[in-house]
Amino acid sequence: MKIISKITIGLATAALLTVGCSTAKSVSEESLGLRKTNLYVESNATHGDATKYGTGAAGSGHKIQRAFQDAPPMIPHDTEGMTPITRDNNQCVSCHMPEVAVSVGATPVPASHFTTFRPAVALSKDGKLMNNGEVVDPAASSKGNAISIKSNGDKLSGTRFNCTQCHAPQSEGLAVENNFKPVYTSKDGANRSSWNGAKMTEGLNTVEGK
Amino acid sequence: MSLSRREFLKSSAAASAAAAMGMTIPAELQAAADVAESNWRWDKAACRFCGTGCGIMMATKDGKIVAVKGDPAAPVNRGLNCIKGYFNAKIMYGADRLTQPLLRVGADGKFDKKGDFKPVSWQRAFDEMEFNIKKALKSGGPEAVGVFSSGQHTIMEGYAAQKMMKGGFRSNAFDPNARHCMASAVTGFYQTFGIDEPSGCYDDIELTDTIVAWGSNMAEMHPILWSRVTDRKLSDPERVKVISIQTYTHRTSDLADIEIIFSPNTDLALWNYIAHEIVYNKPDAIDWDFVKKHIVFAASPVNIGYGLRKAGEKSLLPVNPDGSAGKYSAKEMQIVNKEMSKVISAKEAPALKPYGYKEGDVMTNKDAPNANLGHWEISFDEYKKALEPYTLDYVATISKGNPDEDINEFKKKLQTLADLYIEKGRKVVSFWTMGMNQHTRGTWVNTLAYNVHFLLNKQALPGSGAFSLTGQPSACGTAREVGTFTHRLPADMMVNVPKHREIVENRWKVPAGTLNPIGNQHIMKIHRDIEDGFIKFAWVNVCNPYQDSANAEHWIKAAREMDNFIVTSDGYPGISAKVSDLILPSAMIYEKWGGYGNAERRTQLWRQQVLPVGDAMSDTWQWVELSKRFTVKDVWGAQPLRGKDEQGNPNSLPSVIDAAKAMGYTEDTTMFEILFANKEAKSYKIDLKSFPQQGYDNTDGNGDSRNVIGSDGKVFKGYGFMIQEYLFEEYASFGRGHGHDLADFTTYHKVRGLKWPVVDGKETQWRFNANYDPYAAKETKESGNSHAFYGTIAKELMQGDLMGVKDKTTKALKNKAKIFARPYMDPPEMPDAEYPTWLSTGRVLEHWHSGTMTMRVPELYRAVPEALCYMHPEDAKKFDVKQGELCWVESRRGKVKARVETRGRNKPSRGLVFVPWFDEKVFINKVCLDATCPQSKQVDFKKCAVKVYKV
Repeated sequence: MKIISKITIGLATAALLTVGCSTAKSVSEESLGLRKTNLYVESNATHGDATKYGTGAAGSGHKIQRAFQDAPPMIPHDTEGMTPITRDNNQCVSCHMPEVAVSVGATPVPASHFTTFRPAVALSKDGKLMNNGEVVDPAASSKGNAISIKSNGDKLSGTRFNCTQCHAPQSEGLAVENNFKPVYTSKDGANRSSWNGAKMTEGLNTVEGK
Repeated sequence: MSLSRREFLKSSAAASAAAAMGMTIPAELQAAADVAESNWRWDKAACRFCGTGCGIMMATKDGKIVAVKGDPAAPVNRGLNCIKGYFNAKIMYGADRLTQPLLRVGADGKFDKKGDFKPVSWQRAFDEMEFNIKKALKSGGPEAVGVFSSGQHTIMEGYAAQKMMKGGFRSNAFDPNARHCMASAVTGFYQTFGIDEPSGCYDDIELTDTIVAWGSNMAEMHPILWSRVTDRKLSDPERVKVISIQTYTHRTSDLADIEIIFSPNTDLALWNYIAHEIVYNKPDAIDWDFVKKHIVFAASPVNIGYGLRKAGEKSLLPVNPDGSAGKYSAKEMQIVNKEMSKVISAKEAPALKPYGYKEGDVMTNKDAPNANLGHWEISFDEYKKALEPYTLDYVATISKGNPDEDINEFKKKLQTLADLYIEKGRKVVSFWTMGMNQHTRGTWVNTLAYNVHFLLNKQALPGSGAFSLTGQPSACGTAREVGTFTHRLPADMMVNVPKHREIVENRWKVPAGTLNPIGNQHIMKIHRDIEDGFIKFAWVNVCNPYQDSANAEHWIKAAREMDNFIVTSDGYPGISAKVSDLILPSAMIYEKWGGYGNAERRTQLWRQQVLPVGDAMSDTWQWVELSKRFTVKDVWGAQPLRGKDEQGNPNSLPSVIDAAKAMGYTEDTTMFEILFANKEAKSYKIDLKSFPQQGYDNTDGNGDSRNVIGSDGKVFKGYGFMIQEYLFEEYASFGRGHGHDLADFTTYHKVRGLKWPVVDGKETQWRFNANYDPYAAKETKESGNSHAFYGTIAKELMQGDLMGVKDKTTKALKNKAKIFARPYMDPPEMPDAEYPTWLSTGRVLEHWHSGTMTMRVPELYRAVPEALCYMHPEDAKKFDVKQGELCWVESRRGKVKARVETRGRNKPSRGLVFVPWFDEKVFINKVCLDATCPQSKQVDFKKCAVKVYKV
């Protein structure tokens, strides 16, 4: 009885499979993933995709569309000799500060980079953590999160000083297609940041969905 | 029309006051705003990538993610993300997402290990898994069923996997990739504090005067923390000092006041030098009041090996006359043999003198078989004796890492470093990551960091402390707190402690004696057990062990050539999927409800933002469906285990079937009914009319509009209860009241994370400090002490000296922490005539780990499309290779080709090359050595010896 039922199940499974497999194409191990060559042997066929960054000079006018609304723009020009960014030498800002950018055709550093989002952190006399001069109640954070958005005047925020943490030069091609579709909501959203003013607080109340 | 900058400044000034979440936006700002994305839904979520744990705001439209922005309300990152963080928007949309289970089959449609992959149903996939797990259990017992788990598992997934593996299959062959990333930090915490996880928090950055990065390229690996460091430095450039202590120059040095390039592994000597400087030359700097109240001194054996394979293991047999052994070549064995014994070098001899060794002595690693975590208390004088060798002369001589640097200049830097630590009133934070963790003495070097901070009373204070940064987004939250390691249970409990097993068995409502008390199958052991043919079934969850493990050629061959069944669940086909027999399509991060815990103890939860692609389902669902296939009689009978007990009897697990019956289960009750769909679970209701469920998909709970055909061949309609909340709350119940307290599930959906312990709704900023930590406050009520190091692990020590235990009576050290005497020692493989240069590996900013997600984001791919071999221009000349051309990088274990980069962001000194590991085509882990810290079992990916030559 037990044996029979096992065989029956086996046959049924096999039948299902035959149907299933006849329509589905088989896929080889090598065709999967990014490395299409033999995984077990390092032959001449296997090597990384060569880096081919743009060689156009900075200021030549070419720009790369932003990946989505308010995404950080990628660097369209040659950066050789412009890095590293050190305390004493940040060559990026010399062209991209808003005052200069317009005249040299560079993408201007946007308003968000002249904004401080972190409350001022200090300790009170008795050692309590303070934000913006007020003692932080560790219980307050379980009720909601304080937002602190302040203008930094004409001064670039220190948090945005390391330009290369968000902006990178671009080589060519793709490892594989990506089906993400950007939706630009502001005029010229593919080319400029609109993240300023009230947009900075848009949607932050995720409890009430505002 | 957007605002001009002047207008922006004016309007944002109006919004400058801190306001609670849900604040109303001033009318003038509303009017000035750009067109609002009215049909976008914004929600908060955690970033998918590193251990920093940034908050993101994610927009969806028509069921697709359309944008990501930095969350201004998130305390970690305040409105800023790094390049990877922003591109969370695109990580789920690579065109080769896995959408169906794929099985290797032959022409007859049956499973065939040599076959190509064909799409199969979920039902067939689970049939194959069930069959192969039962076969493995029969062949070798629970230890033959292995799972590669992850520091990227959500808390709920990790907990579900833990329950089924340990409670269901009774297998502890369950270990996360966090083993490769955090294990040395954990053993460091356990040995020093008696409890896991850091005492400090990220606010230390804004409060400190000194940031010292040890073996950590924070600028690329924790970019948002580095942006906070940068902001702090630029805000007060004179007072704030940044010191970058590394084995090669990289972006973290760009901001530094001092850069110290050291020879690999000599960080052990550098830490001991600072301690030597304090103890011998500036003894007044020691805060004796603090030390006497809070610290004991300790020592442990030094002859503990390197975590390599040991003589006699199956794959090392037979030993051949040419020096090869089993599956290992004679060249490989040159290094593997050091596991058994080694000759003391001139470099390490002075450091080992206090332990009775001299140059040329053979050190037999007799303590290696247990690689024991055992240690004992010693006197301060013994500790002082251990520090004696670390004079400036000795340390500078062995540790100077740049051959072109003047030794006197280097000495000056070391002196300045020590002076900065010692300076009265100067706050100091020491940060480290993989440099100190991926280290054959990783546990030691982690403990050495705390030594310096303790002596100076600069630990667990605002702005001061040694702080281990996490690599992965939930290495802390899931791997460590849930305890998805072979030896761990939730909330710092251990499988080998009877009381802990009892607590877990009771909570899980499984019979007493179900849990397996032997947990020794860490990641490398699982790989080696597969190579030995012992593990017959292995399942890869949210990680990529066949790309991320050192000495990879052995493991990929073992997967394909041994009699086993390997399953990989993933979003994309990475190398682990390629070498598998069955590939399962997993829902990715924002396609499911989840939660992560970051490096500052911050727990963050998110909701399902979109439906998964194709037939992809969450890892939680995959575990829960698998549990339906196993009944009490399948898994809870008597089971064999390897090895023998103290009486010499073979280890085994008793049958708990009768006990299960006594609890009201039958032989045919499924693990699903016991572990997942039990009465308690069903009390967590689906409630689509209330927060946080309202308006959000929940595929696991309710099924979804895709009508995926599930594991029983029928449309999956959901479990009908709030399974993620159940898993989270049950997990959290282990830690509440035990120093790991978490808030409730719904609270985490309202807030931008909370730092545990969360007691009475209050998060904890600085642990062990009575001013901030309620547990420390309680413990110090009577003593009035400033701190209580209240962890309970290894808090009774025998007494001895550097050479060993002298008095076996144990002394309790309640609320105390430990300072360890631990010497500099060489790593097992160092450059020599044939392999003349060091190889270090790691990440780059733009890619995450093995690149499976980030290589599929066009912007990130184009930023760094290939893994380069960074080297010094003089070395390129010496090796006869040219900038931009391919070279071979070859070790005793394997070789790969990479393009030479002598002008890039990483600038090694002569004698070291760096190759990142994200690129499948530059499979650098074939070259790396699988040596580990013998105590933590974490692999050292940062050093091995290679030669570089022309293609």
